[in-house]
Amino acid sequence: MDKPPPHHESISSRWSFSSKDKEVTFADLGSKRIRHGSAGADSEMLSMSQKEIRDEDARLIYINDPDRTNETFDFTGNSIKTAKYSVFTFLPRNLFEQFHRVAYVYFLVIAVLNQLPQLAVFGRGASIMPLAFVLLVSAIKDAYEDFRRHRSDRVENNRLALVFEDNEFKEKQWKYIRVGEVIKVVSNQTLPCDMVLLATSDPTGVVYVQTTNLDGESNLKTRYAKQETLQKATDLETFDGFIKCEKPNRNIYGFQANMEIDGRRLSLGPSNIILRGCELKNTEWALGVVVYAGSETKAMLNNSGAPSKRSRLETRMNLEIILLSLFLIALCTTAAATAAVWLRTHRDDLDTILFYRRKDYSVRPEGKNHNYYGWGWEIFFTFFMAVIVYQIMIPISLYISMELVRIGQAYFMTRDDLMYDESSNSSFQCRALNINEDLGQIKYLFSDKTGTLTDNKMEFQCACIGGVDYSGREPAEIDGVTLKPKMRVRVDPSLLQLTRNNKATEEAKRANEFFLSLAACNTIVPIVTNTSDPNVKLVDYQGESPDEQALVYAAAAYGFLLIERTSGHIVINVRGEMQRFNVLGLHEFDSDRKRMSVILGCPDTSVKLFVKGADSSMFSVMDEESYGDVIEATKKQLHAYSSDGLRTLVVGMRKLNDTEFEQWHASFEAASTALIGRAGLLRKVAGNIETKLRIVGATAIEDKLQRGVPEAIESLRIAGIKVWVLTGDKQETAISIGFSSRLLTRNMRQIVINSNSLDSCRRSLEEANASVASDDEESVALIIDGTSLIYVLDNDLEDVLFQVACKSSAVLCCRVAPFQKAGIVALVKNRTSDMTLAIGDGANDVSMIQMADVGVGISGQEGRQAVMASDFAMGQFRFLVPLLLVHGHWNYQRMGYMILYNFYRNAVFVLILFWYVLFTCYTLTTAITEWSSVLYSVVYTSFPTIVIGILDKNLGRRILLSHPQLYGVGQRAEGYSTTLFWYTMFDTVWQSAAIFFIPLFAYWGSTIDTSSLGDLWTIAAVVVVNLHLAMDVIRWNWIAHAAIWGSIVAACICVVVIDVIPTLPGYWAIFQVAKTWMFWFCLLAIVVTALLPRFAIKFLVEYYRPSDVRIAREVEKLRSFSESQQNMGTEMNQIRDPPRR
Amino acid sequence: MSSNMASSSAGSGDSSAARKNSKRPKYSKFTQQELPACKPILTPGWVISTFLIVSVIFIPLGVISLFASQDVVEIVDRYDNDCIPAPARTNKVAFIQGAAPKSCNRTLTVTKRMKQPIYVYYQLENFYQNHRRYVKSRSDSQLRSPKFENQISACKPEDDAGGKPIVPCGLIAWSLFNDTYTLSRNNTPLAVNKKGIAWKSDKEHKFGNKVFPKNFQKGNLTGGATLNPDIPLSEQEDLIVWMRTAALPTFRKLYGKIETDLENGDTIQVTLQNNYNTYSFSGKKKLVLSTTSWLGGKNDFLGIAYLTVGGICFFLALAFTIMYLVKPRRLGDPSYLSWNRNPGGGR
Repeated sequence: MDKPPPHHESISSRWSFSSKDKEVTFADLGSKRIRHGSAGADSEMLSMSQKEIRDEDARLIYINDPDRTNETFDFTGNSIKTAKYSVFTFLPRNLFEQFHRVAYVYFLVIAVLNQLPQLAVFGRGASIMPLAFVLLVSAIKDAYEDFRRHRSDRVENNRLALVFEDNEFKEKQWKYIRVGEVIKVVSNQTLPCDMVLLATSDPTGVVYVQTTNLDGESNLKTRYAKQETLQKATDLETFDGFIKCEKPNRNIYGFQANMEIDGRRLSLGPSNIILRGCELKNTEWALGVVVYAGSETKAMLNNSGAPSKRSRLETRMNLEIILLSLFLIALCTTAAATAAVWLRTHRDDLDTILFYRRKDYSVRPEGKNHNYYGWGWEIFFTFFMAVIVYQIMIPISLYISMELVRIGQAYFMTRDDLMYDESSNSSFQCRALNINEDLGQIKYLFSDKTGTLTDNKMEFQCACIGGVDYSGREPAEIDGVTLKPKMRVRVDPSLLQLTRNNKATEEAKRANEFFLSLAACNTIVPIVTNTSDPNVKLVDYQGESPDEQALVYAAAAYGFLLIERTSGHIVINVRGEMQRFNVLGLHEFDSDRKRMSVILGCPDTSVKLFVKGADSSMFSVMDEESYGDVIEATKKQLHAYSSDGLRTLVVGMRKLNDTEFEQWHASFEAASTALIGRAGLLRKVAGNIETKLRIVGATAIEDKLQRGVPEAIESLRIAGIKVWVLTGDKQETAISIGFSSRLLTRNMRQIVINSNSLDSCRRSLEEANASVASDDEESVALIIDGTSLIYVLDNDLEDVLFQVACKSSAVLCCRVAPFQKAGIVALVKNRTSDMTLAIGDGANDVSMIQMADVGVGISGQEGRQAVMASDFAMGQFRFLVPLLLVHGHWNYQRMGYMILYNFYRNAVFVLILFWYVLFTCYTLTTAITEWSSVLYSVVYTSFPTIVIGILDKNLGRRILLSHPQLYGVGQRAEGYSTTLFWYTMFDTVWQSAAIFFIPLFAYWGSTIDTSSLGDLWTIAAVVVVNLHLAMDVIRWNWIAHAAIWGSIVAACICVVVIDVIPTLPGYWAIFQVAKTWMFWFCLLAIVVTALLPRFAIKFLVEYYRPSDVRIAREVEKLRSFSESQQNMGTEMNQIRDPPRR
Repeated sequence: MSSNMASSSAGSGDSSAARKNSKRPKYSKFTQQELPACKPILTPGWVISTFLIVSVIFIPLGVISLFASQDVVEIVDRYDNDCIPAPARTNKVAFIQGAAPKSCNRTLTVTKRMKQPIYVYYQLENFYQNHRRYVKSRSDSQLRSPKFENQISACKPEDDAGGKPIVPCGLIAWSLFNDTYTLSRNNTPLAVNKKGIAWKSDKEHKFGNKVFPKNFQKGNLTGGATLNPDIPLSEQEDLIVWMRTAALPTFRKLYGKIETDLENGDTIQVTLQNNYNTYSFSGKKKLVLSTTSWLGGKNDFLGIAYLTVGGICFFLALAFTIMYLVKPRRLGDPSYLSWNRNPGGGR
């Protein structure tokens, strides 16, 4: 508090972020007209705006002369192409992209190997089939998506815009718009490209745009045309000038350029450009010159896809894939080695062995080796043939199944009723499709506060005027006025009385000043709209800061209704009386001063300075001598407010005498026309005038907690997730929010670390570490501020902090700068293998969202930047509970089981093939037809695992929500582990042996032919594998039934179809063998023998060493009989509609 | 799913229209994953009764399988060694490839009454009819229709003779078994019916009745039997049987059927031509006369397997019952939950 922290967020977290702050220029004071500036202050801090744009980094645009503009450089036209392919490029490009997946390359290599005549195991068609199938499915999917993109491109490109051509504005399709052309846009139209404003319908050159499509912010933003171009633009024919601007880039908040007209040089900044995708509002028309078109517009450059992350489970799985590769190599080696031994022992007889016949005597009488290349080569070939035959040991189909399953899971997540946000009309969004199962393993949750835990809907709560607290809250009555603010604010009756009575008491005067400053000292744009009642007009306040909105609404409730704001004046309806104030100067908020001020020429001709800012920055510029006691009282009151979790602002004012004003005016003008260091100079000017202020009062705004946040945090904590809240707020506010959100509880010991130096920071951390290490009974909350974090994150203290934080049940970081948020996430991520999730809503959370394993964006008030960077997006913080505890739990368990099952399923089949090799003289004959081999993992067994992977639920959502501890299953990685993998593999060996050896012994020395036995093995394998799955299915709904039994039937049909083709050796075999009792006896024996051990062990484990999930399942099943439906209903409602705070 | 800037700006209508069509997912039991479902759990009762049912089914099945196997009367006579004259036994391959007479007499005694039909098999052991080289060496389309006579690419090294395609081509046909048996009972000839030994489906659809053997066994090396070039393949039942390659290295192939009963004590004289060379890979040859049961030939394995599995299931049912009685666990008892067993551990 004593020392200004590096970044301060008490007004709005957004304001601390990059170049939103606008510099102020001052022009034409005589006409009392003010225009807001041109270059971004922050961008200047990066020393950009005044820097000469180097010629090689610039593009030259001749205004209204597209031919000349495009003469030397052919700039991109305005037609856009989001589609990736054209009809001709589709095949090569799509294939190229698909083969980026290693799995497909493996597929391809195997298929190519199989084409070598020496290695040909499968027929050519059969070996290419699976790859072709997968490629085809993906290609169709891509083609469809691309078709849709083509269609939307076409719609977009064919929209019409007014372009100045041959002395008039003509309609032209968007795609033909060229850089350098002048375009007229009318109200509510969407901008076709990025253009520099030349003129607008507003005489001051102001234009309002809505950037919803660009960054999701729904409030209006103001942009300005340069004064110099305003006049000239009336006569476009003779308009002569050029713009030199930077190369296209994706920074939507930055732009720098120079414009030269009539030999004068003007500098252009981000406030002079309007971007493609924005909509023009509240402005009749605007003229602009196209500077970036088509794919070079900032909107298009920002239009990148979802970020790609890899799921933890998939990474874990790679280890087992390597193990499986080793198995594969071992099997192939065994086959090759045994073949080698046989060939060696029979080497002299190979020519005459009836079933080998090495020599081909038809060529010449002494014979020539037929298909025999010597012992070494034969071994070599055998090995690779084995690789081809056993290829599905590496379950390629698993990768495809996983993708399909994730798509299915994503579908159900987005369709979940529990995660639909009514207020923003947004349902859940899955932006990253490959980390669904990570949601089930989260151990650390990093949450932003403003807009994430809270609504970011500010509500004016208390005022402290002249040290007196007014915090009553009653609904304000609306008397028959014609102007009505859109939002009602509850007011304090005594304060209302004070402002109404119009008495000349000191108190009343102060109150009036207070509300006048609230109404005036801001950048809010009032928008007056008609209502159905012709007498009543609705005033809507649009602005970039929700705090300011709240203050203006509050002022309106107390009778100070801001009606109009232009750049030169404001009109305030003071208790029914219209008063006009000239805006003589405006110093906008910047993150160094942490305050803003406005200089008003009042109706009584006095000139007043109003200042509003954060308490830390305001008290230092107050006139302490004259108002010491009021300041003290206010400080005390402020402390009380922030302890209640309210956001506070201090308002001050000063009357300026003529000399002061003249002085300020001169220096302000000098500063605003300065070419170098303009922002710094303006800041200095502001700093000079903002001194010796009289304190008017302080405001307290409640940043309301979102619905269900405390319950959600409690659930997550019970689930074993460590919740860290990272906020830019000051410590008191943060702690109070911590209590109200149940992150902190009264019985927690708070460890507060706010140090100003490295040494003190180290000391307090080590003390804290010692104290948490000594007793583990107590639950501890760690509170650390941004200044300390600077020392921690840059030094070796990270480890100590991590240790302390690990033992704390809650961590609260306050006054954190955006870059520190990512640093904290990285600190945890680098030190533990546990999964991290970051959730936030603002641009300042982007780095943290991208850093964490799972990033969740709240699609709330603060724009869509966080959503764009996130993996999942949703409307409310509380949706985290169903997302993690329900969907995360399900997805993790489903995916874990699916991976194990796919390993098992393919390995069983490979082992059956392998056992047979031992009885075919160690050659790679397969009794199972090659078509069945190919179809096995595609048709016979894949559908049920996908369906189960999407639909099966080990527990219902009610019990998962009421017992958050069940989430621990994923955190402890119980769904998938190397141990489980080994168990599965042992089971696999047993099952494959049962399937293979029972028929082998039963048919030993009988007339059974290869095809019949192959069919028996095929059907047995399919039945066993599907029954194995059936045994593990937890919820049998009709889809599961259809998938499992349908698969078995489908497999049988396929076997039959294959066996009715007369040119295949196995013709009619299935009918011959299926009419014998032996076949059915073998099948029954196989199924029971194969699944017996698994069944028995599964029961024993579940019964005598029950997992939490098993117990919960029993509870779920038994309770549904014993307990009343109503009981569960309330439990569910509790989560759905938690009581409001 | 990624939001497309271009299309979204195109589709941006006025907000009131957007409000009207709310994005709230349409509620259905399917999308909420609340489809009615049966959720069985393995309770002791279920498991024990499953085991009991399995054992109750398996043990009788095992018993009847064993009975079926016991009912089968089987006479097996290995002759590959004995049918080579003693002096030639040092080099059997040379003998079998030589021109010396291969005729050989064997006498079998019926020890138990055999009811017709009695199947005559030859049994080969250590003969890998499933060898990869071997099974691939055939042309199924050639067998079906004279049109595809020239489809012999897979048949190497027995694809053509002097440039003309061999029908039937390939190693399998080439190595057609050519030992012959002539049976007599008590010195009266015993008819062996060689019709109807192949699958009907093979005769009718797989082997064409217009395909006649051509150039068969005309190569430099004779592998086995020759075929009468005037009889279409669909009638060459020995070939058809042989072409159904055996799945396992020990296998039987049907030679013919005896359609009279054989009485206990009957002696059967077999005059056989020992032509087939299994000696180069020490393969055994056996002549088998066997009846069949409803379950097939004489093989106790399945019966024993059924009895074993049934027995194990019965034992498991018993064991689980005892365990359940001795150490039961109340289902759904929350005290077994990990966070209840060690408080604080769940955190």
